[in-house]
Amino acid sequence: MRRTGTHSPPMEELTLLKREVAKRVFAKELEACRELEKSSRLDFQADDPKSPNLLISPLGLILHRVFIVGVITELDSIGTQNDMWKARIVDPTGAFTIYAGQYQSDASVFFSTVQIPAFIALTGKVRIYEPEPESVFVSIRAEEANAVDEDIRNRWVVDTAEQTVERLEAFSDALASGYRGEKLREYLLDKGVSPELAEGISIILERERAPQEFAKLLRASIREGLKSLDFDSENTEGANADQKEFVLELLKEMGGYKGVDYGAFVDAAVSRGIPEEYVEEVVRSFLEDGQCYEPRIGIIRLVG
Amino acid sequence: MDEKIAPHLEELTRALGDIEETGIRAEFDKLLAYRVPPDVAKETILRKFGGKCKVLKVKDLSANLKSFEITGRILDLGEKSIRPQNGITPQEGVQEGSSKLYTGILADDTGSVSFSSWKELPGSIGDVISIRNAYTRIWQNRIRLSIGEHSLVSKVSDSSVPSLSELSGNQAKKIIDIGAADFSVKAVASVLQLTHREVLVKGRQSKVVSGVLGDETGRLPFTAWIELPGIDIGSIILIEGAQIRVFRGMPSVNILSSTRISPVKPEESEKLAFNFESAGRDPLPLRMDEISSRDSMFDVAAVGNLISIRPGSGIISRCPECGRVIQKASCRVHGKVEGIRDMRIKAVLDDGTGSISVTFPRELAEAIYGKTLEEAEQLMLSDVSKDAVYEDLRRFLTGRCLAVRGNSSKSEYGTFFTAEKVWVPDDDLAVRVVELLHRLGQDEEDGQGIDAQDRDAQDRNSQPSNGGIDLA
Repeated sequence: MRRTGTHSPPMEELTLLKREVAKRVFAKELEACRELEKSSRLDFQADDPKSPNLLISPLGLILHRVFIVGVITELDSIGTQNDMWKARIVDPTGAFTIYAGQYQSDASVFFSTVQIPAFIALTGKVRIYEPEPESVFVSIRAEEANAVDEDIRNRWVVDTAEQTVERLEAFSDALASGYRGEKLREYLLDKGVSPELAEGISIILERERAPQEFAKLLRASIREGLKSLDFDSENTEGANADQKEFVLELLKEMGGYKGVDYGAFVDAAVSRGIPEEYVEEVVRSFLEDGQCYEPRIGIIRLVG
Repeated sequence: MDEKIAPHLEELTRALGDIEETGIRAEFDKLLAYRVPPDVAKETILRKFGGKCKVLKVKDLSANLKSFEITGRILDLGEKSIRPQNGITPQEGVQEGSSKLYTGILADDTGSVSFSSWKELPGSIGDVISIRNAYTRIWQNRIRLSIGEHSLVSKVSDSSVPSLSELSGNQAKKIIDIGAADFSVKAVASVLQLTHREVLVKGRQSKVVSGVLGDETGRLPFTAWIELPGIDIGSIILIEGAQIRVFRGMPSVNILSSTRISPVKPEESEKLAFNFESAGRDPLPLRMDEISSRDSMFDVAAVGNLISIRPGSGIISRCPECGRVIQKASCRVHGKVEGIRDMRIKAVLDDGTGSISVTFPRELAEAIYGKTLEEAEQLMLSDVSKDAVYEDLRRFLTGRCLAVRGNSSKSEYGTFFTAEKVWVPDDDLAVRVVELLHRLGQDEEDGQGIDAQDRDAQDRNSQPSNGGIDLA
């Protein structure tokens, strides 16, 4: 008997089994993401209840899984039985908020052993929480995480910058074309933009009122981030640069803009694993280049 | 009743064309007779006959595709009668004529493919036909386009498909443009590798020549079933009328007695975009979305991060007879055996545009892990955990950046890659940063450019957008 193959699942269903790509995205772009309503999608996935909840960035990047590399600067055990971790991972443009719970056991085990600060590579899925309009929290639910070296961090920053710049270029091109909707999608596909990004850009241009604003901010942020990379340094110096970043973060957190007791600050930094003489050295360098000053003896305050 | 079903019939006609002639109406009525509600019956029919059909070109065809649309010109057409075998009664609803099989060759501007049809076609040699709900099958190691009972075939009078003479003229193709289904290939390429071997074909020893062809766009393996006098590694040759066959998922150029092979003269080959040396150079890394868009790719490179080390990585046992991975000293085929220890790593490599599942055999696994099989065994024996090596691999490798070179092939579970080489990319990041800063432009310029574009965009899009969120 001949088989016509009509009982096998059609091609579209099969492609859903494929592993989702881990997008490269900077913290600044991720935190500006919003939920992508399924109804706004144009293709077949729209009516598939199995399709995951996707986010869309102000530049039209559609994402679910991400791969990030950055410096872990905070780690808290939350939840009642030490089974939930909340972490903050910093990249040159901002910070990612990470959660790992009992269902992410690989990542949880990793977080229970990690030292702060350290370079971390992490794969996870993005989540959005919107308790009320105007306040939106984007976080990443960790799948796998590992400690890496500075070279991998630098490579991630450059890779991510390249892919973001490529999207920024497609986005500017889309704006300049003046097309919208289906016509814009065809225009972008013609230009060699991937079908997913072409769709994302056409969706986001329907809802953004000032589409160029974010692109402008992100460009400036990436430019600064790239300039801050230091490839010539030995590994230890690179780690120092990140410790410096960490000291600054800590200072801000402890209310550095209002003024912090120097002794208490050194104690807090030491308790987080930064050597005392190093804290003093960093604060001295902040005083020298005017990032902070001493309003009174024993009190340091950040400028800004 | 008729009033109820009329709108559904109309919709079906809109989506699928003439439903009376193609037997779709009969199928619809049959569902109604089984008391399927009309709207559900309509949905069923639309799903079955592919309301949304992918439009493909010959170049895109791969094994086991279903419900797509393709348009091409018939280059060759023949028919043979198939006698029903004993014990098989013709299916209900199948027309008498379906015991005839029509075979031929269909071509468009990207290549030609052999086809078979269970129904008479509404055209003959030289006509352009459009087929909806076509599918592909592997037949004698070749991809064949199949036209079944549920396929809708129509003759297209006005078409952009090249004329018969142009199509049979057989344009020379670059290696990268050769599709897995190509029936007749013409290409100019350099012979990069070549070996002679003896194989058993239908019980007879035969000599075959196999090797690798390459040009500036890519590489493909080839097999010649005839002798190739005067052709050796380094030769640049013109191949005409070669066929593509698929062997273990990898397309290869087959040189048969009907294939013409001629050396390219030195003065001619100087004009080519490649020579033996450049065609044999290491392939540049491709983006993974490009690799996974192709059914299979031979000898390509990719760079990405190891985002996941998969279970099954580490120390494994293989059957000494067949090399299969075995569990608990028992082979699926050979039963109880004394396993041979081996090491491998299976990992997901992802570059942000696509992801591939890479398998690293022992020598590559040892190189990237930095431990030999023996050292890994020591670790396994000294640790209480059964997964000690796997855990160690994950700690050591997850997140790292690697470049791989090898063959890729796609299945319904994603793109699989067999690594033949692996290395840590050492491209200069500082150079890429300079390039990026240049692309990002200067702050001042940027500001002005954006303001101008912004105003422009607002002018064009002066209506307030509905439900927009201001992220600025």
